[in-house]
Order: sequence, then C-alpha cells, then structure tokens
Amino acid sequence: MRLSVSLLEHAFAAVLRRRGRNFAIVVGIALVTALAESVTMLTSALIHEYETGAAVVPDLVVQGLVGGRPALLAPDTLVSIASRPGVASIEPRVWGYLYLPSIEANVTIVGLAGSIAQDARILEGRLPRAHGDAALGRALADSLGMRVGDTMALPIGERWETFRVSGIFRASTAMRTADLALVQVADARHLLGMPDDRVTDLAVRLSTSSEAAPIAREIRTLIPSARVLERDLVTRAYALTFGSRSGLFAMMLLPALAALLLLAWDRLTGLGEEERREIAVLKLVGWSTRDVMAVRMLESGVVAFVGTSLGFTLAYADVFMLGAPLLRDALFGWSHLVPALELTPEVSVVDLALLLGSIVVPFVFVSVIPAFLAAMRDPLDGWRAS
Amino acid sequence: MESIVSETLRASRVGLVVRDGRAERRVLADVDLGLAKGELVAVRGPSGSGKTSLLAVLGGLVTPTEGDVLLDGMSIVRLRDHHRTALRRTAIGFVVQELALIPRMTVLDNVLLPFVPDGITSRDREAALDWLSRFGIVARADSLASGLSGGEKQRVALARALVRDPGVLLLDEPTAHVDAATAGELVSELARLRDDGRALLVASHDPRVLDDPRLDRILELDRGRLSPVGAATHTE
Repeated sequence: MRLSVSLLEHAFAAVLRRRGRNFAIVVGIALVTALAESVTMLTSALIHEYETGAAVVPDLVVQGLVGGRPALLAPDTLVSIASRPGVASIEPRVWGYLYLPSIEANVTIVGLAGSIAQDARILEGRLPRAHGDAALGRALADSLGMRVGDTMALPIGERWETFRVSGIFRASTAMRTADLALVQVADARHLLGMPDDRVTDLAVRLSTSSEAAPIAREIRTLIPSARVLERDLVTRAYALTFGSRSGLFAMMLLPALAALLLLAWDRLTGLGEEERREIAVLKLVGWSTRDVMAVRMLESGVVAFVGTSLGFTLAYADVFMLGAPLLRDALFGWSHLVPALELTPEVSVVDLALLLGSIVVPFVFVSVIPAFLAAMRDPLDGWRAS
Repeated sequence: MESIVSETLRASRVGLVVRDGRAERRVLADVDLGLAKGELVAVRGPSGSGKTSLLAVLGGLVTPTEGDVLLDGMSIVRLRDHHRTALRRTAIGFVVQELALIPRMTVLDNVLLPFVPDGITSRDREAALDWLSRFGIVARADSLASGLSGGEKQRVALARALVRDPGVLLLDEPTAHVDAATAGELVSELARLRDDGRALLVASHDPRVLDDPRLDRILELDRGRLSPVGAATHTE
C-alpha cells in the first residue's frame, strides 16, 4: 500500500479535525486498558514478588494432623526426620494466630529461635532479643499506631501482656511480614498457649532441592499423620491464588470492554454525513479506495495507540506509584492487614506488544470497514446524497 | 477529420443503466459527444435528465454499461481502476458545487488534496498558491474553508480542479447558490480557461450560464439522450 508523508500528515490532521469524537474514544480505550492492565500488572508483580522471596522458604514444611486438622508436633518427630538421607537441617518453628479485637484482625505470632543476623535493609530497630520484645510488620505497626520503642499489649486469654516494639519490618518485606509479630520463642509459646515440648511445624532444608518430592514421600511413609508441604507446591498455590483473583477481575471487566467495542462500532460504522461527504470529495479529486483506507487506518491506529498507551501509563502509575488503591483490597489481602508493598515494575516488551496488538489491530479493523464501504459506494450516490 | 483529431474527450454511443432497487433505469442512451481543446460547451436539461451521470461517465467516475469514452485517443472505460483514478487526479478536473470543499480544512489544504496520494512538493504548493492568486483568494489560503462565502468556495473548488493542470474540466452546476455578479465572473473565468486551450464541459440549467454568448456550443440532454441546440456566438 502506497503511503506518502502527505498521506500521514493528512491522517494526523484528520485526527485533530474530528477531535471531539476521537477524544471520547481515546478516553474510553484508556479507561478500559488502564483497568485491565492494572489487574495484570499487579498480579504479575505480586507473583514476581513472591517468587523473588521464595528462596527463603524451606524446601519442605512438616505439619502434624489429627483428624484432618493441624496439630502440634512432638520433638521425637524431628529426630526421625533428621536421620533421613538428603536432609541438611531441620528447624522447629513456633507460630500461630492471635486475634486482636482493637483492629479486628488476626496477627501472626512467630517465635524467634536461635540467633539471626540483624539486617538494616529489612528491619528498622532490632530483632527481639529479650523477653517482652516484639518486632512488628509494617501494616500491623501502622494499624496499631506503633513506632520503635513504643509499648503495646497482646491478649493472653482474659489477660493482656505488654510488649516493647524493638523493631518494625520495612515495607519491602511486606509480602511476608505485614501481619507479623516476631517475639522470643518462650513469649510465642506463652501467647499461643503452647506446651514447651511441642512445636507448630518443622522447616526442613535439603542438600539438593530437586529431591524434595521423593523425600516428602519418605516422610509421609515414616509419619503417616504428617502433612508435608513442598516449596514448589506452595509457590504454585500462591500463583494460582493471584491468578484466579485477577482472572475474576478480568471477567468483571468484560462488560466494560464489550460496551467500549459496541460504542466504537456504533461511532465508526455510522459514518457521519461530514465524513461520507469527505470521502466523496477525496474520490472526486482522484484518491483511490486504497488511499482512503490507508488514511482511515492511520487515523484510527493513532487514536487506538494513543488510548492504549495512555491506559498503560495510567495503569503503571496506579500500580507502581500509587500502590493500586482500587485493587489492593481485592488482590493483596488475606486479612484486614493489607501489605504495604513496594512492587517491582515487571513489564516485558512482549506484554506491551500483545496489549497494543489486542486493542489497536481490532480497533483499526473495525474502523476500516465503514470507510471501505463508503469509498466503494457509487460515486453518484455520494455526489447526489450530499 | 480534423475536428476528430483535435478532440481531447470523446464519448461514443455511451449508455448507462443503473439499478434502482430491483428495477433497472436507463440514465444515458446512445450519447455521442466530442469535446475539443479550446472549447467551452454547456449541457442543459431539467433535473433528472442525466447531466450529472454524463459528467461522471466522462470523468471516469462511473463505468458506462455501453459504449466507450476516449481521453486523448485512449479508452478510459477499459482502464483498470487505479489507472483511472490516477487519470482523474492528473488529466481531468471536476467542479461539483455540492462536493466543493472539506469545511474544517484550510483553503490551501483543500486545493492541495489532489497531490496528497503522491506526496506534496514545494512546487505543488507554489502551483496551488498561484491558482488561488489568479482567482483573487490567496489572502484566504490559511483560512478554514467553512468561513468562505459561496462565491469564494466556488473559486477555491475551481483552483483545486485546475491545480494539476488538467486538459479537461467538467463542471456540474457551477453557478448554483452564487449571486449574479459571481456567476458572471465565473463564466468569464471559464472563457479564459477555454482560451488557455482547455476543454470545458458545463452541466447547468442556469440561464446566467446558458444565455452567455461566450459558450461555443450548447447541448440538450433529455431523458438520457443528447442532442445539439445550436452554436452560441463566440465573443472574442
């Protein structure tokens, strides 16, 4: 198809001549694109965030089950697993949930065992070193209005125990620490009402991660009442959760998308009298049908490209600069304590090309049909009709 | 024989039948017409007599169902569509009152429209400004066409039809919606273009055109059939 610079200039001028209609279509495309892309970007970023942190997740987690319900584990379980070949280390963990009526949310209480190196990049203040110290997740600290050095109370049955906030986890760790209260193991047992000879679960690290599946099978055989969770399965479960949530959102956007397409079809197929007359003039002065279509394709291509790009930019700003205020409750949360994540922008060229292709191409196609019909119309009809 | 050689446009036994719903309607029948360079000819006839269809067939916009149309000895009926389009852009100028201008474009951009598919050069721009200057409207070159008077619009349409220097000019009711003075000026301009060596065919039922003594010939079109009315007095 012949495409002179003058044809390009004519197409751009046509976009401006019909600026009212084109502006409305740009806004419509931008809104639908922004909504759809916000969901996609947020989901991708959350999965990326989880996968980035997956390295710290143990290869296997062994939990006890009684009657199908999670139950505490006895220490002799640890001994029997530690003797299996391929097991590098086992860490007994003490953790559980505590309901805080003041914020109507569950807090994850985790007992800190052994010595962990302090890392200023993930924690403001310090880790709990003494009885009565607690390091809080950012979302929990914000909900309670706590700062490092403040004193807070946590319920133990009918009583309340005071804790000093020794540190607050930084927002970059929010995916795992949002609702966390990290305390000494003894304090955790106390808060959760756990006996000294029991643990919540066992974190198992293997010499070779790829052997997780056979070793998990061995542990299940050894301890029939145990539930063994593999890291890959947990990671996949998170991805599925995010995926299904975003899928639900995408489904909710379908009516909006359909409405936009109907609007575009209506506006573009019902060529206005002015446009029909313009096409008749162009044919009269020696434009071919291909010239008319080329200009029309360029015009609608520019409109769709601008709308899609604007929508993409809005989505990027919404997710990575504003923290997705409209979607965070639906896609972030498992409780009232929604993580204040600093998401890493995760946008590939392929995603961008697919997005542009899925909007610009059908839009241009839809707009070219009526122009083609108008250009193919009997010139005398156009002549007399005007 | 000499008259045939000097003819730039010839219609031979041209017929046109159009579909009107399920029915077929004959618009042109056995039309024979020769138009020579340096000739200003008018076609008159009541509304619906086929004047517009005749111009469209002669200009290659509509393919006749019978007969042939020759431009400088070459059949335009048998040309492929894109060649006929190119011919319309370069060799034939149209002036149609109703399809005059694109209102929200400037006067200059309207005149430059025939150049757009091939690309506009600075020479094309100069040519457009020259024609606008010749018709006394170069000062309005950057104005929107929607702001022009009826007479100005007609002169801009004429400039656009001439900007690629075609040898044939076809005009459909060029004096419709203009006052008597403007109509007189327009006919004077057509006579000057004829004197430049162009072939002009004007379809009109306006007495201000048909009674003008500068016309070379007047033809009558009635129910699709063309017949001569008589030679007009040529004033030089």
